[in-house]
Amino acid sequence: MEQLISIIGAQAFTMIAGLIGVIAFVVVNALALTWAERKVAGHMQRRIGPKEVGPYGLIQPIADAIKLLGKEILTPGAVDKPLYVIAPILIFVPVLVSFIVIPFDARLVVSDIGVGILVILAFSSLTVLSILLAGWGSNNKYALMGAVRSIAQNIAYEIPLLLALLPVIMIAGSFSLTAIVEAQKGLWFVVYQPVAFIIYFIAAVAETNRTPFDLPEAESELVAGYHTEYSGMRFALFFLAEYTNMFIVSAIAVTFFLGGYQGPILPGVVWFLLKAYLVVFVIMWLKWTYPRVRFDQLLNISWKVLIPLAFINLLITGGILKL
Amino acid sequence: MVERIKTGLSEILRAAPVAEADYTAKGYHLFAEVAASDLQGVARFFDAQGFYLAMIACVDYKEYLELVYIFANHAELCKVKIALKVDPAKPVAPTLSQIFDCACWYEREIREFYGVLFEGHPNLTYLFLHEGIDHYPLRKAQVPVSAADKRAMAALPVADGEDSFSINLGPQHPSTHGVLRVVLKMDGEYIEDAQPVLGYLHRMHEKMAENRGYVQFYANTGRMDYLGAMAFNLGYVTAVERLCGIAVPERANLIRVICTELNRLQSHLMWLGAYLADLGALTPFLYVFDDREQIHDILEPVTGSRLTYAYFRFGGLYNDVDDQFAAKTRAFVSRLRSRFAMYEKLVTGNVIFLNRTRGIGVITKERARKVGVSGPVLRAAGIPMDLRKMEPCAAYGAASFAVPVGTRGDVLDSYVVRVKEMENALKIIEQALAAMGEGPVMAEKVPKKLKPPKGDIYHCVETPRGELGVYIVSDETDTPYRMKWRVPSFSNLMIFPELAKGCLLADAVAILGSLDLVIPEIDR
Repeated sequence: MEQLISIIGAQAFTMIAGLIGVIAFVVVNALALTWAERKVAGHMQRRIGPKEVGPYGLIQPIADAIKLLGKEILTPGAVDKPLYVIAPILIFVPVLVSFIVIPFDARLVVSDIGVGILVILAFSSLTVLSILLAGWGSNNKYALMGAVRSIAQNIAYEIPLLLALLPVIMIAGSFSLTAIVEAQKGLWFVVYQPVAFIIYFIAAVAETNRTPFDLPEAESELVAGYHTEYSGMRFALFFLAEYTNMFIVSAIAVTFFLGGYQGPILPGVVWFLLKAYLVVFVIMWLKWTYPRVRFDQLLNISWKVLIPLAFINLLITGGILKL
Repeated sequence: MVERIKTGLSEILRAAPVAEADYTAKGYHLFAEVAASDLQGVARFFDAQGFYLAMIACVDYKEYLELVYIFANHAELCKVKIALKVDPAKPVAPTLSQIFDCACWYEREIREFYGVLFEGHPNLTYLFLHEGIDHYPLRKAQVPVSAADKRAMAALPVADGEDSFSINLGPQHPSTHGVLRVVLKMDGEYIEDAQPVLGYLHRMHEKMAENRGYVQFYANTGRMDYLGAMAFNLGYVTAVERLCGIAVPERANLIRVICTELNRLQSHLMWLGAYLADLGALTPFLYVFDDREQIHDILEPVTGSRLTYAYFRFGGLYNDVDDQFAAKTRAFVSRLRSRFAMYEKLVTGNVIFLNRTRGIGVITKERARKVGVSGPVLRAAGIPMDLRKMEPCAAYGAASFAVPVGTRGDVLDSYVVRVKEMENALKIIEQALAAMGEGPVMAEKVPKKLKPPKGDIYHCVETPRGELGVYIVSDETDTPYRMKWRVPSFSNLMIFPELAKGCLLADAVAILGSLDLVIPEIDR
């Protein structure tokens, strides 16, 4: 092992080990979340949810994964093949990159880049591109409409998302995620910045295309939105990305507002995961309670409510800090 | 009312007499035969009097085709049958589609089933059928469809424009609840034009009726509206009983009311769940299925089936209810009352739901009348018309309940009206249970083979979706000579194109859901 480290260098080794760890985590997380979603949905709907495969249905996601892997890879005749094939792969790049900078514990971070949050935000904008490719490449009107909705939605909600994070960055005085967590040693930032937290949370739900903002894949309107023409493993990749994104936005919420890995007695990583999955649970809870908003209402909420509110919050924070 | 209409009508039809008909036996008060030149004048008269066109039927009497127009009023009980004789060799009639919008689809239907050409009709294309049909199906003699007629009827509904594109909402689409197809012409997210395309579940029940006995056809009725099967059974059974003059024992009538109201509850609950699923909330769907299951559990031991019932008989019921029926129903009524409180919290108070439904799909009273919508959609538009009050059959006459009406006529109102209707149904069930005494459930001396006297009848009942009209022509044999079904979803769907115009796609889905369509009933 030490020989290997000396050959490729310590930094490169952490990167490779980290990447492998991240990929493993992404898969395990997605499996766990699909199980959790089905259980949460089940109990909220007065059902039991999966219970036959393994204890409490715990093996169910693995059975699902095997089923999806075993499916024939179908490519509809009319699609634009290069775009159609590349879209589900491309959607995974931002997902993987985001994990590199997230601090799971004081030392458990693949690479503590000084501008960590900017890396996440920059790469998460790429998700839109792959959705557009999927929608356009599918050569299907429903898919295209889903993609168009998705772009409008993501552009609209990236702004309040960023504006809600800025006050925290100003208070912490750093873009580094580890530094931001360390700055919350005393009080969590959610106490200083409740408005920013709420704005962030709403924008995050919209960014991940979850109900009540699941317009890009609104099944009663657009059948399945941008992934209408996808099946088997390609569909599974979109699915995987959605669940991983859900975790990422929750992880950012925890890092920025809920004290990150900080907490008594238990190790930091446990605290981090506990808080992150709690936020994920709230997102699921929303999905199984609310109906879907309409497209114009969705955009109005962002442009007319969230963005002005976030600006005012930002100005007030800046003013107070200057004093 | 009847007198006033009679005088008014006589003035227009100087030559032809306006006859008074026996309402109890026929289902209409006045009858007049008009000439083709007078028809539009008569229709304008009824329009001015605030009547709506309930249906148009065509009957092939071999020597001539008879077009039957039933006009009725929302405010008062007054039904008029207008008949127009058409030459079967060269069937031509004037159109009413400029006066009553609903005539448009009825005339298209008659065009493809009988070959009657309606002069001045804007769009006489196929509604249910297609070019593969070589003979006019409902004509008694075999009359081939000429190649020219086929070409004329097979026009494309909507074409792509310069800045617009067309999408098919259906026949396989999650929000059409069955095989309805709507061709939408879209400009981005906005709808420029919507054209429903019917016939994907067309089974020609009306032709089947002409080929089997009254008893044999009974099972078909539940298959038309699988959610409101009991109400369709009731409509058919009471129509035939009225035609034959069969009296039904009181206990049977009360049980009929209870079963029909339970079925109505079940249908409205299903609508509630499916409607919210259309709006993106999936959880209520599972909640209402819980309640629906309880209704099925009550009805199953009594009727023997869970969905397409055949419990009523001409003259009564198949068998009496068991001793647990009343207790189980009472328990269910109180259970559902407490569940309504939960739905209230989950749905009615939800801001997203209110914003999605308020102010869209507004139907004015005038449009509701012209298009002939009925049921909860009509009441949401503000017209307090309920056939259970207006023309009570079975034991509905004794039921006391307030007819809920909407104030804005939008989609939210149709939700509110349906919720109130469910509460009413609970009330009616309780009243019927209290009134129920011992007694027979079957009339004595009902012949095995029914041969109703010669004549016709237009009988209507309130189904969960609105006015179901059964028009039966009997020729004294054991099979109906002609049976026309005026189904509520068919009339309610007619208003969809104008409501959808200029809407967002999401609104169109919300509007379509609020009409509570059952596709096999539209297509028959």
